Amino acid sequence: MDALNNLMYGFGIALEPINIAYVFAGVFAGTIIGMLPGLGPISALALMIPITFAMEPSSGLILMAGVYYGAIFGGSTSSILLNAPGVAGTVATSFDGYPMAKKGLAGKALAIAAYSSFVGGTVSVIFLMLVAPLLSKVAVSFGPAEYFALMVLGLTAVVSLSDKSLVKGLIAAVVGVMISIVGIDMQTGTERFTFGSAQLLDGIDFLVVALGIFALAEVFYMLLRGGGGKETPRNAIGSLKLTRSEVKEIAGPVSRSSVLGFFTGVLPGAGATIGSFLGYSMEKRIAKDGNTFGQGNIKGVAAPEAANNAACTGSFVPLLTLGVPGSGTTAVLLGALLVMGVTPGPMMLEQRPDVFWGVVASMYIGNIFLLVLNLPLIPLIAKILDLPKPLLLSLILIFCMIGVYGMSFSVFDLLLLLGFGLLGLGMRLFGFPAAPLILALILGNIMEESMRRALQISGGDWMTFIDKPISLSLLLIALLSLGLPLLKKRRKRAIAE
Amino acid sequence: MTSLSLKRLAVIALPMAALAGMMTSAQAQEWTPSKSIEFVAPANPGGGWDTLVRTMSRVIQQEGLADKNFAAINVPGGGGAVAWAQIARDSGNPHKLFATSPPMILVPLAGASRYDHTDFTPVARINTDYSIILVAADSEYQDLNDLFAALKENPRLSVGGGSAPGSMDHISVAGLASAAGLDASSVNYIPFSGGGDAMTNLMGGHIEAVITGAGESVGQLGEGSQLRALGVSAEERLGGALADVPTYQEQGIDYTFDIWRGVMGAPDMPEEAVTYYEDLFAEMLETDAWRQASDQLGWIDAYQNSEEFGAFLDEQQEQFSSVLSDLGLLRQ
Repeated sequence: MDALNNLMYGFGIALEPINIAYVFAGVFAGTIIGMLPGLGPISALALMIPITFAMEPSSGLILMAGVYYGAIFGGSTSSILLNAPGVAGTVATSFDGYPMAKKGLAGKALAIAAYSSFVGGTVSVIFLMLVAPLLSKVAVSFGPAEYFALMVLGLTAVVSLSDKSLVKGLIAAVVGVMISIVGIDMQTGTERFTFGSAQLLDGIDFLVVALGIFALAEVFYMLLRGGGGKETPRNAIGSLKLTRSEVKEIAGPVSRSSVLGFFTGVLPGAGATIGSFLGYSMEKRIAKDGNTFGQGNIKGVAAPEAANNAACTGSFVPLLTLGVPGSGTTAVLLGALLVMGVTPGPMMLEQRPDVFWGVVASMYIGNIFLLVLNLPLIPLIAKILDLPKPLLLSLILIFCMIGVYGMSFSVFDLLLLLGFGLLGLGMRLFGFPAAPLILALILGNIMEESMRRALQISGGDWMTFIDKPISLSLLLIALLSLGLPLLKKRRKRAIAE
Repeated sequence: MTSLSLKRLAVIALPMAALAGMMTSAQAQEWTPSKSIEFVAPANPGGGWDTLVRTMSRVIQQEGLADKNFAAINVPGGGGAVAWAQIARDSGNPHKLFATSPPMILVPLAGASRYDHTDFTPVARINTDYSIILVAADSEYQDLNDLFAALKENPRLSVGGGSAPGSMDHISVAGLASAAGLDASSVNYIPFSGGGDAMTNLMGGHIEAVITGAGESVGQLGEGSQLRALGVSAEERLGGALADVPTYQEQGIDYTFDIWRGVMGAPDMPEEAVTYYEDLFAEMLETDAWRQASDQLGWIDAYQNSEEFGAFLDEQQEQFSSVLSDLGLLRQ
């Protein structure tokens, strides 16, 4: 009952007219920002610090939080329509979202993304409200060894998805890890694989690789097929409506992934990417029609979208209860709160309940706004697919280049983008999956740093990964997820004989 | 991602600032900026440099201290080296400033930047933070001497910090260890991606102790906290929430460490411009808005003018290079 009272108190704050206006402004700006790659929520929030300074801390955080989860909500659009994921958390959405769009089901894919995001966002707010203080314990229980095991699990889960060839999946993952190594090594300050180039000192950004290997490779592939490809059919958007059986079909994946996403979001640093990939691979494993994942299965859109929005809410747990930012975006939020005179941390729930409960309540309202705002926008945005193919392809090309150039102002990055586009094309032609590469790139750094930290703490003893129960169980699950497909294959062969 | 929008902001701010400039006509003779000032944070938004740049820009604007706008610009990369390389090319430009702190000395000493502090114009030191040593609330170590006695016995005990080896937190704890009679290089320093990350690991019992900025730790200390502070690197006790934390010197270890923050400008900045900024920043430190922001961020004013700051930087370089060479991390 306590939580209910607190929530009512929170709604009292969130429902003040000015705060409703802030929620709306926040989620609206966030949606737009999320749709454009290269303009992530971090820069948007940094720009807002001076604006929020004079505000009540609760209003300021309500506004900024709105931008953050609004951006995640809107982030699926470019993944689905253009195969161009702008944020790491929406990569998994493109696996089935883009094939759906190609089949003329763009409207439905976007609608599913919106509904799933809404459920993921709302379910996780309920969790945030009920268990946030308890969860801070979970967040700190993950040390370097546990993080390493979690990253291994995330990677193997994705590698095991590549049903055509496990070996090709592993090769792609290794290449991804190799790309993540480029740059200055955090642990020793040594330059690795930079070939003396200053542009490579900070490594290769996720966005360059993602846009190259997904969007640009797709453009190249279509060009290669030339006139052979069918002209996009008119009215490519399709209906937004879900049938009753479709709703039933995605209900399970959405609710499972919402919970999973929330808990991965709670872990500082892991967040939306791991949540959405794990959600996706879990659903593929469970589903009876798992073999149609990757060809436009609606569950493949629903699961990662629910997970990444839930993870976004989850990332507020370490921020608000421990005062520790779990991601770049929440680090900026922490900075903004400090400037506004609020110190997030263990004492915040007692000292500033208005901020905590006001924000929690505003998230319910914000998610409703997002749904209402996004659904009518879908037909408008999806019209982009009605463009004639030559125009659409050039548009994707420009879109990618602006995204990359806008991030770094570096022509070198544009060349890299081109290079990764060609690499992506080659991988497609030879049947290498792109997902393990991109995930390995995102997780590679955390995986390596966690491993080295864990070993440094243990004095070089590898048993540290096995001695810790959380780490051991995660590694065992990882082993299972790699081993099961092999066993299945063997059994099939045995039966055939 | 970040720099795009921030540069855009600067573009929008420019004409507005120009308008303001026309209305409040500049005083005769003295140098004043003729256009918006690019104030660079050589890092991503959210960190120490970024906070300094944004807070200063805001206070100056709020209090109407300057005719021209201070536009915050983030140039991340190479621990500052990317921004320094850009600014070094802008010799003589009086409209370009950047935030600085110990990495300005440490990164070049580690061989990771072609430019060091002598390549730029010192403008003013602004304030300082101190290092703080933390342990878990239920830790057996009651004071610094307990901790160092244990470290002496078992050098594998891990001390986490928020920055790379050879950078601020590492130098600070290595210097402390050597003042306490240990070998500086014997500290098992574990670098985390930030002070917050290190503190979470301390709460989870994954490491023995943490060294981080005192300002950063304020939110984690106090009643009901899971962490306990053993000492600060200041000469005198700090105020507020940290008033109960003894200094190193109180515990018989003669060692202090400043995490100073200041402002530098492009190489060979004209003297009149330096004077203008010196005065401006000195005036800014007197405002209530600055006072309030500093209290919240745990900053302690430590103003030095251009000349003093330059001499101070030279001293720091000497001190740091001796610690780095003890650690075997000096590359020059």
